[in-house]
Amino acid sequence: MRARLGTGDGVRLGVIAALLLFCLLGLPGMLSTYWIDVLTLVAIYSVVALGLNVLMGRVGLVSLGQIAVLALGAWIAARLSFATGLPFPIVLLLSGVLTMVLGTVIGLPALRLSGLYLALITLMLAGTITVVLTATNFPNGGSGFLGYTDTDQGGTAMRRPSIAETDPAFYRYTVVVAAVLFLVALWHVRSKPGRAWAAIRQSEPAALAAGVNTTLYKLWAFALASFLAGVAGGLLAGSVGKLFTFQFSTRESILLLAVVLMGGIYSLWGALVAGAFMKLLPALLDDWGLPADLLTILFGVGILQVLLTAPGGLAQQFPRDMAKLGRALGRLFGRGSPAQEAAK
Amino acid sequence: MPSWEDFKPFIVTGLALGGVYALSGVGTVVLYRATGVLNLAFGAVGAMGAFISWSLIDRGTVPDGIAFLICILFGGVVTLAYGLAFGPPLAGRDPLVKATATLGLALIMLGAMSWIWSDKARSLNLPTTNSSFEVGDVLVNWTQVIAFALGVAVAAGTAAFLRFTNVGTAMRALASDREITATLGVPVLRVEAIAWLFSGLLAGASGLLLANLIGLDAATLTFLFISSLAATLIARLRSISVTLIAAIVVGLVSALVTPILEISQYRDMAPFVLATIALLWLSRHREISFARRAG
Repeated sequence: MRARLGTGDGVRLGVIAALLLFCLLGLPGMLSTYWIDVLTLVAIYSVVALGLNVLMGRVGLVSLGQIAVLALGAWIAARLSFATGLPFPIVLLLSGVLTMVLGTVIGLPALRLSGLYLALITLMLAGTITVVLTATNFPNGGSGFLGYTDTDQGGTAMRRPSIAETDPAFYRYTVVVAAVLFLVALWHVRSKPGRAWAAIRQSEPAALAAGVNTTLYKLWAFALASFLAGVAGGLLAGSVGKLFTFQFSTRESILLLAVVLMGGIYSLWGALVAGAFMKLLPALLDDWGLPADLLTILFGVGILQVLLTAPGGLAQQFPRDMAKLGRALGRLFGRGSPAQEAAK
Repeated sequence: MPSWEDFKPFIVTGLALGGVYALSGVGTVVLYRATGVLNLAFGAVGAMGAFISWSLIDRGTVPDGIAFLICILFGGVVTLAYGLAFGPPLAGRDPLVKATATLGLALIMLGAMSWIWSDKARSLNLPTTNSSFEVGDVLVNWTQVIAFALGVAVAAGTAAFLRFTNVGTAMRALASDREITATLGVPVLRVEAIAWLFSGLLAGASGLLLANLIGLDAATLTFLFISSLAATLIARLRSISVTLIAAIVVGLVSALVTPILEISQYRDMAPFVLATIALLWLSRHREISFARRAG
């Protein structure tokens, strides 16, 4: 389908392009390596959040195991990277596709279950993946199928693409890949699958009656979310080099759910906000000398607040609040408020 | 393959663990049936109670017995407070939304725990852990006995309570239809409050026992609840007796795998695998159907 562009879309596209260019060209020069690494993680986790965002916001399915799928993707990418001399983009693509296949195979029987049971079975499967990964560890250049070696040096770091060996270069690489993946998700949402998902979310019987193959499209959503998490896993493996199981705990899965809800599930921007919540905020708090646990508490409050009062999350609430603020400011300056006069 | 002798001690650990799983399983099922809320913060609340108990004992401000009691009460009070504050506004929402909201409480508890009690190895010892007796040649301590006995007793008591008392009947009615139950004159909020409180007290008790049997660690205690959740899933969040049996099986299987070295490191996934298989098996004949309650 060819989307028609109105003037609003034109402005939006311009802003997005400018933002992207700033992220690619402006930011790396302004920040230290530490913050560039943090921003790389933000980009990676927004891709993971994007998968959950589509699942929850578009189709109405909840997965409590996206972080485990991310771990699966990272494992596959690391394994492929150590076992073969494949170029990095191929490794990324393959880890995405293989994770997608695994995610779909797991998702197929689970689709018989609905709502709450589906969410709980993803929690169980995530637990299983975590236990297996704790036992096998991540490949670090060892031999055999598992590719793990228990050395003092902690093994070899996973290689990065030749054009993006340094941290700023890998950051740019990640941002570009993430932007492409956001476009993939946007295409899905704007075209046939998106309409099918919207129908399913509204009412599954109605969607079925309208001729939507509900099983196919639900599975498609799972496949897309797993693909996104798989590619993100590959990027994560390249970014941090050495992977450890504790990075992929169940707690992280719950935190991801929290930030995706807080970011907003009805807009793809929400995924970007979620990525920033997940990785940028802890780094900022750390920088300011505040405990990161404070954030866990805030995210908990955030879940409750979103579910009770603001189902659209920040991505919807923020523009609305800004518009409100704008109107309030307009009124303030239009009238010349007494408070302002008094302040002078 | 290890010999029978190697398995013996793990039967005891397995039964004790199964007893605690039954305890939290019953708490989860009762709450779910009465209010439609699957409380995913169950483990976190119990863990927080155990930590508070540990702090009180560590400072020596109160006698140990009181500290243990406070752990159980903490579970009850926090769960009840959550239920009163967030139960009614979310009552009409999908079970999935209600369950997700409890994750908020779980995160608040988790954050608070790792903030106040930084990750350091601690242990909480009930006095019953120190006295033990021998069965055959296996050492059994009284905490293990209490865990198993309490699990069985609470399951049996709850089943009887739901069957024979007025409040129990009201809870079962709520499980079928909240609106109609309210129309019939059942004080819905009060019955729900009882369910929240009861479930919370069980959360506190499970937290205390697990802290003793497994160890006092926020993440472990919080996510061990997922294992007991496996038992309730096998019971499809409905049957108390199936929950009890499933809980003991889950506890036994995860403990009995320990001496088999080849798969010992995978023992923690036993509950998840059992629950997944059970869920898929139970739903094997399900066609896509949209049979929903009217209203």
